[in-house]
Amino acid sequence: MKPLLVLAVGLACAGCSKSGVTPIVVYSPHGKELLVSFAREYEQAHPECAVQWLDMGSQDVYDRVRTEKENPQADIWWGGPMTAFARAEREGLLERYVPSWDSVSVPAYRSPGRFWYGTFLTPEVIMYNSNRITPAQAPKDWDDLLDPAWRGKIVIRSPLASGTMRIIFSSIILREMQRGGSPGSGFEWLRKLDANTKTYAADPTQLYIAIAREEGLVTLWDLPDVMLQVETHHYPFAYVLPASGTPLITDGIALVRGAKHPEEAKRFYEFVTSRPGMTRQAREFFRIPARRDIPPSDLPPWMQKLEIRALPVNFDTLADHEKEWMKTWDEKVRGRGAASGAE
Amino acid sequence: MRSRSPATLLAISLLVAVFGIFVLYPLGATVAESLHAGGELSLDHYRFLFDMSNRVNLEAVGNSVYVSVVSVVFSGVIGLFLAFVFTQCRFPLRPLLARLAVLPVALPPLVGVIAFLFVFGETGIIPRGLQLLFGTAGPVLPAGGIAGVILVHVYSFHVYFYLFVSAALGTLEGSQLEAATGLGSGPWRTFVRVVLPELRPGLLAASALTFMSSMASFTAPLLFAGGKHFITLQIYASKLNGDMDLAAAQSVLLTAVSLAFYLFLTLGPARPSGYARKGPASAGLITPGKLPGRVMVVAAFTLLAVELLPVIAILALSLAREGSWTTQWVPSAYTLGNYTAFFADASLLVPVVNSLEMALLALAASLAFGVTAAFLVSRTRNRVFSTWANLALTLPYAVPGTVVAVAFILAFNRPVLPGLPALLVGTFWILPLAYFVREYPVVIRSVAASLEGMDGSLLEAASGLGAGPLRRFRSVALPALLPGILSGGVLVLIGSLGEFVSSILLYTYDSRPVSVEILAQLRLFNIGAAAAYSVVLMLIILLLLRLSGGLLASDRRMSYIL
Repeated sequence: MKPLLVLAVGLACAGCSKSGVTPIVVYSPHGKELLVSFAREYEQAHPECAVQWLDMGSQDVYDRVRTEKENPQADIWWGGPMTAFARAEREGLLERYVPSWDSVSVPAYRSPGRFWYGTFLTPEVIMYNSNRITPAQAPKDWDDLLDPAWRGKIVIRSPLASGTMRIIFSSIILREMQRGGSPGSGFEWLRKLDANTKTYAADPTQLYIAIAREEGLVTLWDLPDVMLQVETHHYPFAYVLPASGTPLITDGIALVRGAKHPEEAKRFYEFVTSRPGMTRQAREFFRIPARRDIPPSDLPPWMQKLEIRALPVNFDTLADHEKEWMKTWDEKVRGRGAASGAE
Repeated sequence: MRSRSPATLLAISLLVAVFGIFVLYPLGATVAESLHAGGELSLDHYRFLFDMSNRVNLEAVGNSVYVSVVSVVFSGVIGLFLAFVFTQCRFPLRPLLARLAVLPVALPPLVGVIAFLFVFGETGIIPRGLQLLFGTAGPVLPAGGIAGVILVHVYSFHVYFYLFVSAALGTLEGSQLEAATGLGSGPWRTFVRVVLPELRPGLLAASALTFMSSMASFTAPLLFAGGKHFITLQIYASKLNGDMDLAAAQSVLLTAVSLAFYLFLTLGPARPSGYARKGPASAGLITPGKLPGRVMVVAAFTLLAVELLPVIAILALSLAREGSWTTQWVPSAYTLGNYTAFFADASLLVPVVNSLEMALLALAASLAFGVTAAFLVSRTRNRVFSTWANLALTLPYAVPGTVVAVAFILAFNRPVLPGLPALLVGTFWILPLAYFVREYPVVIRSVAASLEGMDGSLLEAASGLGAGPLRRFRSVALPALLPGILSGGVLVLIGSLGEFVSSILLYTYDSRPVSVEILAQLRLFNIGAAAAYSVVLMLIILLLLRLSGGLLASDRRMSYIL
């Protein structure tokens, strides 16, 4: 047993954290590229800090923050749809903070109580494999995805953990409610989509692999991530902004209530939401800023030209029903579309 | 009953306290939570689980049970077959190959599933290779969905059957078979009437173990199941959706099914009683000279090759250049970069160090608790009491990892008792504690197996010669228990090092283990880095097995412990 003991002592020392460095713990779904870039830049400006980020689905972030409520581990929650932030705010998980740029924020893109602020506007898109599908063949609108021609060719990111997918599905239910009167018609729509869906990918990477390697050809995803994948991995992806309009998500940022390093967290918050920070996020990471004071000439050309037709989504209604709808989807829609089509 | 010494009483009260706080209390908290809806006492969640108009949860349990039963059948057939060939046939390299056959045990659950995905998944090496070979339009025989989950289970769990059957066959006396043959019994009749009864306890034990592991399986359904529901995934989904009390009710349901099988295993059939045999073991039921023998050996070699493929694939992927594997059947460019990175940037090793550290903590706790518990229980004279005490103590054995995590979150996200050092969720300590709860039963089982072989009169003699309880334990019991402690300890380390299912729900930034890092790297699309971490993990586990004196070779030990 002696060698083991020696090993144990050695490891205990190796595991000691570097002293004198203040960690800032960031939970975020924004992906490695963006997080590494901004963490590095921040650490260069503030060598006394170490930015420790964990990348996970935005619903995972919410679940973690809630689980750790009594002993918060995260200092800052960066990214995810406003609906998730709104729910966290209601459950008392967030710390109120008014950033220095409050005066140039848009009321629709922040919490009325100033618990969270919108950083980016993220349009949802239909993504497809551009090696196998020409722009002419690609689906033009959400309803086109229900065409039997796409049966077995759609792969979808497992929606429960994904803020993006939760919003897309909930928005579609809302839209069908406006058309048909009840959530039932929305679930009917999703059932048809499920019938065309080959499988649900466990995480974004599994989704990218499936589309890049032609296990599936079409998916529903968000614009910045599609562009980032094309840019960094040269994957054969292209996107369509659905003709009838797309849910425009406000991605948020907030301080976690009871965070261990509140002052550092505030500084990091200001840093990543500063005007230069947001401009760089727009140029390098395809993120459309939610601040009003960034002149269009600072934005990349594609973003200046981008015409987004926003689907009229009442995000308050959506936030009220999302949980129950996603549960119903999991129970009554997932994996059952084909069966209901056959009946 | 004899009066107990203060040391014994102290040990007993410590055991009861630890068991109460870390096993009973979390499970109790889970049951309590499941009986609440909206803050009020209610059976709503159970009504929902058994709601006939919305059978999603029953369907999920059904899928899990179906997959588990099929996994048991196929694991049994393949494990039995391999065990037969490797114990009863003579051919070159047999000892080495017999060791390789247990390799899937060294593959941590997450690594195994991912490796499997890259080899047998829709765009894996084999389906893509066959597509190239035959010039078909799509990949040939891709594994996915329910079939994919079953294949992963069979890949990982047939080893249980292999170990148990090899152990039983190892104790089969050659003379029994000779007698049967001498009395005019043909090979088939000998197999059914002589061999099978010997194997029955081992087969039942392996079946129950495979069943429990399949029911608890989380990673395989997560990555393969697509649109299908599994009960472990439902727990995760409910938790993610913010329905902690529903997750608790689903956990209770899953644990109940798993526990039923555990009781069946422990209370039902007797365990194999091989140690007492005296005659030489049989080897040579089948001679490879004859045609059927040759066919069997070739088939076994093929199975073994399939078994090695995922390991080789992980190795290859760790050497593949990033982005060089899209529609090709194997990666097209290679690099050592994923390994040199470990030397260039020490922070990359943090997850490995974390895992080692937490595994050692879990080991220390498991040994302290497990050895003491097994020893104390074995000293009682009351057979019924000791059976039930052992059963209760090894209860976590039947609790799936997802449930352990849910229970820990429910129990330890607030201070346990006022005055105790605060809460555990979000701290470093929760993971080693979860590993401890998941793994210590293996120590109890392995030490109990050693104790069965120990002569009780030795202790009485020591006592008669005036040795106190501590002295008796140290000088008499410990040496006899050492093999059991060693093999149990190694299994605790292996289990903790690769643990994923509880870790993913309980880790923090400071305690993130290798398995979580592998998943994170995969999510970040660093497949090569994920593979490199997997290789490091596999090497550590193989090294441990090697250091422990070739546990892989002593199948018999393993079959008693598992």
